[in-house]
Amino acid sequence: MRNFFLVLKFELLNLIKKKAFLISTAIICLIIIVGLTIPIIADSFGSPIFNKDENQVAEADKVSYGVLIEEDSIELSDLETLLPHINIITTDSKKELSDLTRNEDVVAGFIIKAPTKYDYLVKNTSSYDNNTYEMDSALLTLYRNKTLTEKGIDVSIVNEVYNVSVEHDVEVLGKDSMQNYLYTYILIFALYFIVIMYGQLIATSIASEKSNRSMEILVTSTSTESLIFGKVIAGALAGIIQFGIILLVANISYRINASAWDNSLDFIFDIPLNVLLTFSVFGILGYLFYLFAFGAIGALVSRTEDISASATPITIIFIIAFFISMFSMNAPDSLLLKVASFIPLSSFMAMFIRVSMGNVSTIHVIISLALLALSTGLIGILGAKIYKLGTLMYGNPVKLKTAIKLLREK
Amino acid sequence: MVLRKIIESRGDFMILELKNIHKSFSDVQVLHGVSFSITSGKALGFLGRNGAGKTTTIRILMGLFDANQGEILLNGQRFNPREHSIGYLPEERGLYPKQKVLEQLTYFGQLRGLNNKQAKENGLYWLERLGILDYKDKRLETLSKGNQQKVQIAETLLCNPDIVILDEPFSGLDPVNSQILKDIINELIKKGCLVIFSSHQMSYVEEFCQEIALIDKGNIVLTGDLKSIKKEYGMNRITLNSTNQSVHELKNILSTGVKDVKIIDTKNKGVIIELLNGKSKNRLLHDLLDLNIDIENFSIYEPSLTDIFVQKVGDN
Repeated sequence: MRNFFLVLKFELLNLIKKKAFLISTAIICLIIIVGLTIPIIADSFGSPIFNKDENQVAEADKVSYGVLIEEDSIELSDLETLLPHINIITTDSKKELSDLTRNEDVVAGFIIKAPTKYDYLVKNTSSYDNNTYEMDSALLTLYRNKTLTEKGIDVSIVNEVYNVSVEHDVEVLGKDSMQNYLYTYILIFALYFIVIMYGQLIATSIASEKSNRSMEILVTSTSTESLIFGKVIAGALAGIIQFGIILLVANISYRINASAWDNSLDFIFDIPLNVLLTFSVFGILGYLFYLFAFGAIGALVSRTEDISASATPITIIFIIAFFISMFSMNAPDSLLLKVASFIPLSSFMAMFIRVSMGNVSTIHVIISLALLALSTGLIGILGAKIYKLGTLMYGNPVKLKTAIKLLREK
Repeated sequence: MVLRKIIESRGDFMILELKNIHKSFSDVQVLHGVSFSITSGKALGFLGRNGAGKTTTIRILMGLFDANQGEILLNGQRFNPREHSIGYLPEERGLYPKQKVLEQLTYFGQLRGLNNKQAKENGLYWLERLGILDYKDKRLETLSKGNQQKVQIAETLLCNPDIVILDEPFSGLDPVNSQILKDIINELIKKGCLVIFSSHQMSYVEEFCQEIALIDKGNIVLTGDLKSIKKEYGMNRITLNSTNQSVHELKNILSTGVKDVKIIDTKNKGVIIELLNGKSKNRLLHDLLDLNIDIENFSIYEPSLTDIFVQKVGDN
């Protein structure tokens, strides 16, 4: 046990003192800090993202429309009343209107031919053009008001009847998938990256000990169990520390900037305790499960360049488990996700999604957790055996099938 | 730093015995009943050609592999390498290239049961003793090959071992450093350590080892006291050089004109003759004089270890 802690300490310090670890953590934290400070930066440049009053558009910000009203089809003052956020410039001829539009003195030109008919002049069309929509609504309102008044109907009563809105309150009895989606997505993605990154790191670390032959000294100095468990758990801790720092920085940055964000990201950061707990327990066990597998792969190769080829099968299995989980996020109670949530290869992601977004009974969570914990323990023991077997086997990479056959013979 | 005595005198006598060790990998049998013994205060030269089974035997001794059959005893009790302080210098050298020298020595010392302070102290002692103290805070990969080898030796001796296994310890060392290591090995032997020395440089083996075990294709083909072995191999054998005959001529004359002799080998412009059927040295001398051979050298043959090695495990 003493040597396990010695290996753990040595490996952990090596990992977290690495430039790659320090720089990647610093860069990610910096990006998060800058990203979450954007509203404050935007405010300081006078372009607030949140809290801006839509009705108060500064005079200077108003866009201009050029208008030519033919045959007094409508009253200019009525149009100005209905389009208060637009600066309307009247013209006397089509040529004058065309010149204004071409010279971009106005964003668009309208030749109003009848109360419900106009020609639209624009220099360049754009997919974001909503000028005709603005004019359509204004002319339609003018036409309706005029017609109703002519027929002796009170416009305000009609508006009241038509504009009444049906009120409804939402009471979510299960999970609010819309709200939970984003943080579940972020956490699953984080888990994906952390497993791939640290899995490769551990496999490389073990393979390099074989290639630089320090393995000869290590295996004669302490037990192989201390070595593999110390290494894998050190790798797992380094990942957890890095992820923890990033989460902490994100949380603090958001809390500081929450008012500037108008609290609009609260739903990402206020993750319920049970979801966090499930993520932590399942995430850590699943993470360890894959790290042991990657560790064993590292022991079966003699050169670091052989790792990517040897690690391909387990990487593919992990990616399939990841995609099943990701695609099932839209249907958290689907049969596929239910099955995946009991298979240890995918349960640490699938069960987390079910707890976070779907409906799952406690007994299912306990069964899945027990299966995952048992499998992680077994793969740890198997990993240690493969590690012991593989440590002193040099040359071509040993296939997993061969390794298991050799273990059986033993 | 003041040099402190790390190598302490061993009070207990130890005898380590390997008995009938068999080992197979898959269907290939690598060791076929390896047996030899070694006592403390002596060095055993463990010799053999490449691939003969030396490293496998050492790994079984270190507990890295389990033998399929046989046992290892220390003073008659089952030997458990974890219960003893063993210094092992493997043939395949390797430490952490990117770690600082003293940092990794301290780590390995701790793994072998020393506390942090002892591990550091012992590390500093051996670095000073081997003349590389200045490199204690350097990364291993920045050191020359010879100095890296010395760090590896420091690592081997770090935990004040009872049993020392040295596999080609002199490779990469210049004559001055070789002398430093020779002194250290002699000191270990004198203090009562049990030393197993494996090398292809026979002169070193002859210098240190009172006993040898010679392994060939997984079988011990020769083991025992080196002096006795040499004596046995020299028994009834004569080295003969002539001033007026070439080796070829000598061989012809002896094979046709002298009875009860067998030419074993040729060496240093002379021949090595084995006396058969109780023929005496005096009788042979008379025969040679009768044949008018002008004798330059007529002496009892004393084989070198290389001769014995080649004779026992050579291709012929």
